[in-house]
Amino acid sequence: MPSVSSREPIATETVVVAPPAPVRRRSATWVRIVLIVIGAAAILSFPTIAPNPYILSAGVVILNYAVLSTGWNFMGGFTGYISLGHAAYFGLGAYGTGLLIKYLALPGFVAWIVATVLVAIVAIPIGIAALRVRGASFVIVSIAFVLIMLLVFQSWRDVTGGSEGLNVPRPFPDMLRPEHHRVFFYLFVLVLAFALATWWIIDRSKFGTALKSIREDEDKAQSLGVPTTRYKLIAYILSAFFVALGGGLYALWFGDLDPIFQFSILIGSYMVLMALLGGVRNLFGPLLGAVVVGIALEYFKLEFGDTQFHLIATGILLGVVVLFMPDGIIPAVSSLFRRKSDQASIREVTAGELLEQNEARKAAGSAPQRKADAETEETSS
Amino acid sequence: MNASTATLENLSTEAMTKSFGGVTAVDAATVTFQEGKVNGLIGPNGSGKTTFFNCVTGMIRPDSGEVRYRGQSITRKSPDRVARAGIGRSFQLCRVFPRMTVMENLLVAVRNTSIRRQLRSAHDPDELERARGWLRRVGIDHLEHAEARNLSYGQQKLLELAGVLMGEPDTIMLDEPAGGVNPALIGRIATLVRELNEEGKTFIIVEHNMEMVMSLCDHVVVFDRGRPIAEGAPEIIQQDARVLEAYLGV
Repeated sequence: MPSVSSREPIATETVVVAPPAPVRRRSATWVRIVLIVIGAAAILSFPTIAPNPYILSAGVVILNYAVLSTGWNFMGGFTGYISLGHAAYFGLGAYGTGLLIKYLALPGFVAWIVATVLVAIVAIPIGIAALRVRGASFVIVSIAFVLIMLLVFQSWRDVTGGSEGLNVPRPFPDMLRPEHHRVFFYLFVLVLAFALATWWIIDRSKFGTALKSIREDEDKAQSLGVPTTRYKLIAYILSAFFVALGGGLYALWFGDLDPIFQFSILIGSYMVLMALLGGVRNLFGPLLGAVVVGIALEYFKLEFGDTQFHLIATGILLGVVVLFMPDGIIPAVSSLFRRKSDQASIREVTAGELLEQNEARKAAGSAPQRKADAETEETSS
Repeated sequence: MNASTATLENLSTEAMTKSFGGVTAVDAATVTFQEGKVNGLIGPNGSGKTTFFNCVTGMIRPDSGEVRYRGQSITRKSPDRVARAGIGRSFQLCRVFPRMTVMENLLVAVRNTSIRRQLRSAHDPDELERARGWLRRVGIDHLEHAEARNLSYGQQKLLELAGVLMGEPDTIMLDEPAGGVNPALIGRIATLVRELNEEGKTFIIVEHNMEMVMSLCDHVVVFDRGRPIAEGAPEIIQQDARVLEAYLGV
């Protein structure tokens, strides 16, 4: 029998030589820690610094967006399934909280937790149905879902109050407005920290690697044993849970719900825009995006008043992001820093270096090879 | 080599059929692959080899028929369950996760779906060591930190193979392992297949490179128009009149 192995591989096809390990890793870790500490300090001191209650309430709105966008990123970031209808879970969380208070007379914060858990349960059958399709079809299904919810909550007047809105009693009736904003600001910080910590744990876990492989190539991931259907559903439920958590807290804070706002495609689009802007592959991407877009939205509204111009401005922002920073701000900025340092991510090698490396690899590789051969000989004899 | 000393049955199908619209890609195919051997699956273009692969691994649902693996039915099981049952596969046009590093590509393979295991860090030291072992084995360990999309096609092929091996499959199905790669690399892949086979892994290989098939395979099944028309040792297959007719149309 002719042997193919007689054609020994000529080690000349080394095209790409990656650095053996990121050398600057330790300093990068320090930079990251320092940035996180500064960011956390800035957020926590904001209520004290904020010059007036209006700015403080804008801060609450931005944090709310950060929670929603980070929640959305459990699905969009890990698995790459873009839902434009996640406002449905924002609305369900908010209305769930309001209705439980109104009809079951539950205390505000109990209603909030119960409603969030209920929404997560509702997300199971919806997820099973929606996740049967991929790509553009999934986007359309997600939009259909939020529109159906909008119609239901608008038309079901007897229960939801329809377009007249639903009044949610304040959990702290005696509290003055600025104090109320301050308390809710910190509550949103807590929820955001909870969402970020969960995202971080998944990001570094085996489960997270499996979710990311679904984003890259779902069929391939499945062929490697990843139970894609189940894992996507878990990500979807987690995503719905955190968005509902943000929605419920919003209801307790704002106190007045209107279907047209709670179930608007616009809110869902903001979640996507913020996550894309900051970077969906990064823990803090959605938060950063929420801060940038949130401030921009408030500014546009102040500048252009109650016109629809802020929508055009937001659209332009989205266009700029997609054109110039398709991976978001965080990757764009960090690659800028990496380019400044002399270490390229993949460095080019000269023919001489290549030869040396191949020699070294051959020398290193032949020893264990011989050992392996000896072992197989032993077992076969 | 004697084909009549047929050993244990590894993977088999019984009257498996799959049609797309009016085209019957796999037509009541009854095939048996042998445990511990390097099995070849050859046939002219469009003879249904890849569809057969996809049906067996659950990527496509066969319209009718049975698929058995080591005596147990795996008909209509989802691809991930087939994979966790011990069947790894590569794809015809080499599929890796382009925006993940070489190491991350290897850490995807799932064997154990328990929650405790899944919530552990992906960069578990034992797993990293095992992954490095496979990377060394296929010869791309120096690329551990490179993004998969920056690899050459040949390197991606090796990466895909390492990724499949990371799931520790007992049976490995390769769809055209030599397709589009240079002769030196074909040699390396062939050597690897032979070594892994000696270590006890069963192979089922779809391949057009006849030199590779004839030198590597213990047992060859020939497909034409969605069904097997001949099988046996490579030397015998080469002389089979039906095979020559299917290939040359004489």
